[in-house]
Amino acid sequence: MTAFQEIWSPYLIGPFLWLAGIAGMGSVAYVMLARQRVEGFQRLAYALLPAIVLALVFVVADLSRPWNMPGAILSSILGGTFGWVRSWMAVGIALLSLGTVLLLFLTLRYIADSGILVRIVDSTWYGVLLVVVGVLITIYSGFLIAAAPGIPFWNTALIPVLWLLSASVCALALVELLLHHGDVTRQVVRISVALESAELIAVLALINLALYGGSTAARLSAQALAYGPLAAAFWGGVVGLGVVIPLAIGIVSMKRQNRALTAAAAVLALIGALLLRILVLQAGVFEPIP
Amino acid sequence: MTRLAHLWDQSRCVACGACIAACNAANYGSTGRVNKTWGWLASNIKRVELVRGPRPMLLLVQCQHCDNAPCVAVCPTGASYRDVDGLVKIKAELCIGCKYCMVACPYEARWLDEESGLPRKCMEEECLSRVKAGLEPVCVAVCPAGARAFGDLDDPNSAISRRLAQSRYIRLLEDKGTEPKYFVVVGP
Repeated sequence: MTAFQEIWSPYLIGPFLWLAGIAGMGSVAYVMLARQRVEGFQRLAYALLPAIVLALVFVVADLSRPWNMPGAILSSILGGTFGWVRSWMAVGIALLSLGTVLLLFLTLRYIADSGILVRIVDSTWYGVLLVVVGVLITIYSGFLIAAAPGIPFWNTALIPVLWLLSASVCALALVELLLHHGDVTRQVVRISVALESAELIAVLALINLALYGGSTAARLSAQALAYGPLAAAFWGGVVGLGVVIPLAIGIVSMKRQNRALTAAAAVLALIGALLLRILVLQAGVFEPIP
Repeated sequence: MTRLAHLWDQSRCVACGACIAACNAANYGSTGRVNKTWGWLASNIKRVELVRGPRPMLLLVQCQHCDNAPCVAVCPTGASYRDVDGLVKIKAELCIGCKYCMVACPYEARWLDEESGLPRKCMEEECLSRVKAGLEPVCVAVCPAGARAFGDLDDPNSAISRRLAQSRYIRLLEDKGTEPKYFVVVGP
């Protein structure tokens, strides 16, 4: 029986990575829609702050010393030991803090009646900052696990790429659910089909490379997902419901749109992306010694 | 420079478990508390049984005090650090309990103390204070078979350097590039 890692809870860190990706690539989608003045783009702004706050709640819930976090981070910054360029966790703390502040101002811009906030948030530099921080948060969420040398299955450059693709699909799904109307849906469906195709290839590549070219531990992880105890959730949930069905609906919708179907595809894509992260975390195995 | 390191002689070890029990007694007050990470007792030495031939083989695994320690590299706050004596140590006051060090360690050498929320590993306070006082860590001191040694790799006259000079030894998972300083002696 394969002994999976139980250090990081897949049910806490999985949703954290998922929500961070949604907040990150959702910020990019917001800026693109706002620049095109797409009707109802403001709705996206209200979803992003809860996403990043919930992400923080999940990651803090997995800490074993949460009460020590503020003091330790402050002490390490002041003491010069904070891992700004050394640790992806430290990079993530900085990026998520910045992202939360940016999204807080974005939400306040629509809630509070403040001219200053409107000028700041609607400025080009704020949009650029949102896009850069959003993409970096998403990439970070991939590198966080890819840079943990203890679990060989995660140590691949495919993970950050896969996370970026999957988070982009999630952002488009969110746009589809919140802003459903003709032109936007057509564009979203077209981009989603391309991204889901790439995501499918990346997911299969992740398993295939580990099965045939990985270390013993990476192979055990891939076996668990491909035909082991996690196979039903992987093939049924991630690949089937999460990628193939939304992809098929997307291809059909390119010819004939159906609101209920595209909404269902969006919901399935979101669930699939969450399951993907949970299962990749759960499948982690340490290298057997020696 | 000082580079303190551990040695465990597989060919001399009689698998009595004295080192494991001594670690538990000295560093964790002989507690019966369970180390759930390893499914083991509160001790920094893990016993691994390998069945790959006609008879089972024993391997004792603990923190390797790597020169290129992944736990140090990934720690966001610098709570895990490599000290000037070459040992990898933890500053409890800087630890937020993210457990990144635990998933980064290829040797799975850290376990989570659920009481304090701290990742635990070799060497803890009692052993560190013994070393500071010029004594051996408890696991080395109690070993009845002389299967353990500790000392400075950069001192050719240290106990560990002399043992290494006369022995065949391996280091675990060397391909990981961690430069471990836990030497497993496999024969003379």
